[in-house]
Formats: sequence, structure tokens, C-alpha cells
Amino acid sequence: MTGVLVQSKLPLPLVRRGKVREVYAVDDATLLLVASDRVSAFDVVMREAVPHKGAVLTQLSAFWFARLRSVMPHHLLTADVEQIVSRVPALAPHRDELDGRAMLTRRATPMPFECVVRGYISGSAWAEYQRSGTLAGEPLPQGLVESVQLDPPIFSPATKAEQGHDENVTFDHVVNALGRLTAERLRGASLALYEAGRDFAAKRGIIIADTKFEFGTTAQGELIVIDEILTPDSSRFWPADRYQPGRSQPSFDKQPLRDYLADLKKQGKWNGEAPPPPLPPEVVTATSERYRDAYRRIIGTDLE
Amino acid sequence: MQALWGERRRIGLWRRLWLALMQAQRDLGLAIPDAALTQLRAHLDDADLEKTAEYERRLRHDVMAHIHHFSDQAPAARPFIHLGATSAYVTDNADLVLMREAMQLLLGRIGALLVAMGKVARRYRALPCVAYTHFQPAQLTTVGKRMTLWMQDFALDAEELLNRITTLQFRGVKGTTGTQASFLELFDGDHAKVVELDSRVSRAMGFDHALAITGQTYTRKLDAQVLAVLSGIAQSAAKFATDLRLLQHEGELLEPFESEQVGSSAMPYKRNPMRAERITSLARFVIELEGNAWHTAAAQWLERTLDDSANRRLVLPEAFLATDAILVLAINVAAGLEVREETITQHVTAAMPFLATERLLMRGVKAGGDRQQLHEVIRTHTLQGVDQLLDHLARAPEFKRLGVRATAAELDPAAYVGRAPQQVDEFLDRVLPDLMRSIQAAAPAAAAAEVQV
Repeated sequence: MTGVLVQSKLPLPLVRRGKVREVYAVDDATLLLVASDRVSAFDVVMREAVPHKGAVLTQLSAFWFARLRSVMPHHLLTADVEQIVSRVPALAPHRDELDGRAMLTRRATPMPFECVVRGYISGSAWAEYQRSGTLAGEPLPQGLVESVQLDPPIFSPATKAEQGHDENVTFDHVVNALGRLTAERLRGASLALYEAGRDFAAKRGIIIADTKFEFGTTAQGELIVIDEILTPDSSRFWPADRYQPGRSQPSFDKQPLRDYLADLKKQGKWNGEAPPPPLPPEVVTATSERYRDAYRRIIGTDLE
Repeated sequence: MQALWGERRRIGLWRRLWLALMQAQRDLGLAIPDAALTQLRAHLDDADLEKTAEYERRLRHDVMAHIHHFSDQAPAARPFIHLGATSAYVTDNADLVLMREAMQLLLGRIGALLVAMGKVARRYRALPCVAYTHFQPAQLTTVGKRMTLWMQDFALDAEELLNRITTLQFRGVKGTTGTQASFLELFDGDHAKVVELDSRVSRAMGFDHALAITGQTYTRKLDAQVLAVLSGIAQSAAKFATDLRLLQHEGELLEPFESEQVGSSAMPYKRNPMRAERITSLARFVIELEGNAWHTAAAQWLERTLDDSANRRLVLPEAFLATDAILVLAINVAAGLEVREETITQHVTAAMPFLATERLLMRGVKAGGDRQQLHEVIRTHTLQGVDQLLDHLARAPEFKRLGVRATAAELDPAAYVGRAPQQVDEFLDRVLPDLMRSIQAAAPAAAAAEVQV
């Protein structure tokens, strides 16, 4: 693996460019997902890239896909660059920049909902609870404090907004849109995937507070989990040794970045909107190290 | 469940039944003063059980003992308490209230059990494991699929419970021998008022319907039907627990083991499936209790005999208490179940060569081989053990001639589980949600398990 990648440019039709990844079409049945090293904070994508971040996201996803395959089939065919290049020879010249960060996947039609599972109350869920005492429209017990564990975890779906924030919806909303059978399946699979991931990460000092899954249907009608799973970008990772209910928690991965930006905002040096301020190298390095630490803890070896 | 079957709760119900009867009698025109009702209402839950015991020693009749004590506390009601009624009015009706509540409690427990088991089923829906017939490795299934075998049994029990809960009818106000003659007398031959009295009291005690026909007691067939459901739950639990004991021996599935738990006083390395063993032990008790209810129903003479009484006083509470304990244990076991994925996979790997021979046989015949001849070749080779079985078969002249040998795909366990993962999905997503909604509607949230496990 060499260097950082801010944005890939491959000789394949580009399907979508997200905040941090590009999706290319390989053929009718196959996609290539490339995770860049871009990083966002406070909904703004930074100019600097965080070394190794794309590889951490891709390899963590590959790890979880394999580990959780008995819970739910997934879209990953391979995340091994040699195998990818042998399947798609046109990518041979890009071998180095794709190494570790690319996934060859089965193509699926995405479900129109983000399947969020919350095992701890934080972020927009905490805001909703403070406002109305509910989560995903369902009442929660009174007197919960911020960041407290929700047992059992709660399925809290959201619409996929083309622009701006996803909007939380109720389970019944999903039932109405997709039918009860599919809705139950999404909820059941999401909770099972989350709980399996949560239990595994807990033994390695990471609290997965909440996470977002995406599902899709293949041309054969099989429901599979797609996109990335249980990564720091699709989830809230908290360091377990610093967990303390009653306040917001430090982020396992982005805290150096957030601290730096929050400080700039406080000093009035950044208004919190694009364009982002330049990041000092030590902030970038510290953030990169956090991502690698997440990888190291969960998988048990260093990212090569 | 213990509080439900306790003396205090039962006497509280008797008193409410006396109040409901008197209230309805007054509302339908009998001359009963307000003070009688007011005083009854003030003493629904403060019976002094020592005083009633004293009365009972003298009178040798429990219901009369309670009538006297209640009358002492509510003197204005003394002339009217139990008017037209027989003992079975309070004893039988209270038992029906208790049985229905107890069934609701059990239903909530089954709901909680299905949730706990459903999590494991979902998580391991596609994890291949060895399926056994005759407790010999047979084919592959998945851990989740096996969970649903157990879950479906409990789901069927839940359906039965739901049916019993919703159809259970009150004994109501029927009088001695069940003819309502005493009440007809009280209301001067007004049949409509007697019917209305029966219906009002039943509704006041939470029952939409009373049996149209009773002897002096409600038919003991109801007890037998209820006990059959409890026995059914015990059967499901015993099957689950027995399977678990077998699988714990295999090291595949283990019941929870606390960090300080001692397995054996003599053999400290042991990890015994003691909760599963306790489930089977209690289940045998409940299953055998069911027979009491059959015989009681069968042995009743004409309009009433008293040989049901002492037996029912033991059987009904014990059956419910033991079934409750079984379900609390089962919930505890299911929620803390340890699934040893590595061991399960090792066993699958060891079984794969045998399983692959079936496909080898099919392909051999397709390639022009003789099924009986190839079957015999496989049989003789497998008798020599699993080591390099597939290599030996590939070199056997009968297969070599056909150019047939096991492929990598034939050794992929996932190809041997059939529709097991999809069946799990269908059960969890199609069958179970409707049942869970019915359970939630019919049962209060299952109380946190209070039995020490």
C-alpha cells in the first residue's frame, strides 16, 4: 500500500461518489467500492486525507462480513487486490492505489432505508429523546441519561436523504413502505448483526454505541447486507475505558480531529461550514493512528 | 407466581366474589343496606388468617370459617354474605381467576423465551452444524435451524395457552348442584334476573362468559385441559433441555456458567449442564401431574363429589409453580447460551467426507456407474474410517474408471444445509411476529425472573 488517496479515478463507469468512497460498475452483476482516505467532521469533508483510513474501513468491513456471514449473507466477493485485478485486468495499473481499500462486490438494489441500530443513546437519538421521550417514535423509559446503554438495542430506521441529514422514521413507516415481512427481516437482521458486533468489540475495549447497516436485494431476490459494516465511519466507536454515562463520549477515531476543530470554532477561527480549515500534520497523524488502533484491536494484528 | 397461589391472594379473591355477588343482588332488587357493601369493601385485603384458622378448627369447614371472620369484620353484611351460594361459588370461581392469570404469566414467559431463543436463531441462522439421527451424525443443518425446532414447540404451546386464556369461562353463580334453584327462589321465580345475576358477577370478576352448564362445580375437564397445556410446555422444555445436554457433551452448545460457579464438589474441572438437568427434572414432575387432572375429571360422581378437592389443592398450584420455574430456567439458559463455533465447525469438518460420498454416488451413477456397486465401494471404504476417505475413493477402480472424484465445492458445508437459513428467516419473520403480537396483547409483560437459577 502506498500513499494516501483523496479521490480515485479508475477506468470503469462511476456509479456514485459518496463522502468518502467511490462506487464503480464492473459489470451488470458486480461493483467495485473504493474507500478513499477522505475524512469528514461536523458534516464537512476535510481537504487533508488521513493515511490508512480507507484501508481500515475496507478491511474491517471484510473482517465483519466474513465473521457475520452466518447471520446474514453479504455482498463482498473479495477485498484482495490480487484477486480483484485478476477479475478486472483493466485495474492492473491501479494495483497500488487500490491495495487494501477496494472491495469487489455483488451488485444489489439498495433498500430505501438506513437500518440504524442504537445500543446506547447518543446523537440524534438523544436529541429526540430529550425532545419527546421517544426513540424512532416509540416511547422509552423516563429518566435516561445521555450515552446510557439501551437494553435491548433499538432498531431506528432512517430515510436516505439525497441531501442533508437522513430523517428518522418509525418501524411502522418501514412496514408500510416495504411490507411487514421485509421490515421484520431488516429489523431482525440489523439487531442480530449489531449485537454480534457489539459483543465482539466489547471484549476488545471498544463500545459500538450505534451503527448503520444498508441492505439490498440481488437480481435473484436474495436479501444481503451491503456497503460497509461496523466500521468507525458507519458506527459510533467509543473507548470502553473512558465510558461514562451522563455526558457525550469521546469518539474512538475522530476525537483528535473534532477537538481541534471545536477549538477553532470556539476561538471564532472557523464557522463550522465548508470550506474546512487546514489541518496540522499532528492532527492528521493522530487521527490516522486512531483508525489503525481500531483495526488493531478488533482484528488483533497491525494493518499491513 | 408464588404470590398468585398464596393464601392471601386466594382469600382476597373470595372476598371480592362475595362483594360482587352482594352488589349484583342488591342492584337487582334485593333489600341489602349500603353499610353491608361499604363494610365489605373496607375489608377486602385484611383477613386475619390466624382468626380464620381458629374458626376452621372448630367448624372443620374452610369457606364457613372465612364467612364468619369476614362477618366479624363487616357486621352489617353478616346476614347477606354468601346468600344463595355454595362453597364452590368462591372456591371454583377463584381457581378460574387464578388459573387464567397464571396462564397469562406463563404466556409472557414463553414470549420472553422466544425472544431470547430468536436472537440465537438469527445470529446462527446459517452456521452449519452436524444434524443427528439416532444421535449419529447424519447430515448438516444449521445452529439457527435447530433453535427454531425448539422454538416452534414453544410457539405451539403459546398458541394453546392463548386459546385456553381466551376461551376459559367462569363458573359464575349457579348454586348447589348447579341448577340456580336458590337464586330463583331469592328472585321470586324471575328467570331473567337469575341469568342477569350470573352474567353481572362474571363480568365484575373479569370474565365475558360464564359456562351455561355446571354441576355444583365447574366441569373438571377444564382443569384437565389447562394441565395439558402446562404438560405440553414441560414436554417442549424437556426436549430443549435434553438436546442441550447432548450438545453440551459434544462441546457445541453450553448453558451459561457463572464465573464462580462450581461444577462438582469432587471434580473441580467439571462443567455440568445442571440447569438443563433441573429443567428435565421439573418437566417430568409437571408431565406426571397432568394425569391427576385426567383422573379427577374422570372420577367425578354425578353433580359433585369432594374427592377432587385435596388433589386439586396440590396439583394446580404445583403444576403452575413448576412450569413457571421451568420457563424461568429456560429463559436464563437461552439468554446465556454459549455457542462454541470452533467446536461446531470442527465436527462439521470431520463429517464432511462422509457427507460428500452421497453426492459422489449420484455423480458416479450419472457418469454411467452402477449405483449398487458404487454404494458397496463407498460402504467398505467408510468402514475403514474417515482419513483420506475421498482420496481412497478417487483411486478406487470403480470411481477412477468413471473419472469421478470429490470437488472442492462438494466439501463446502454451506452447500449441505439446504434451506435451513431460509427456513429460519421464514419462521422468525413470517410466523413468529404474529404470535408475538398476540402474546403481547394477552399477557402482561413477563415479570423479571424471580426464581433463583
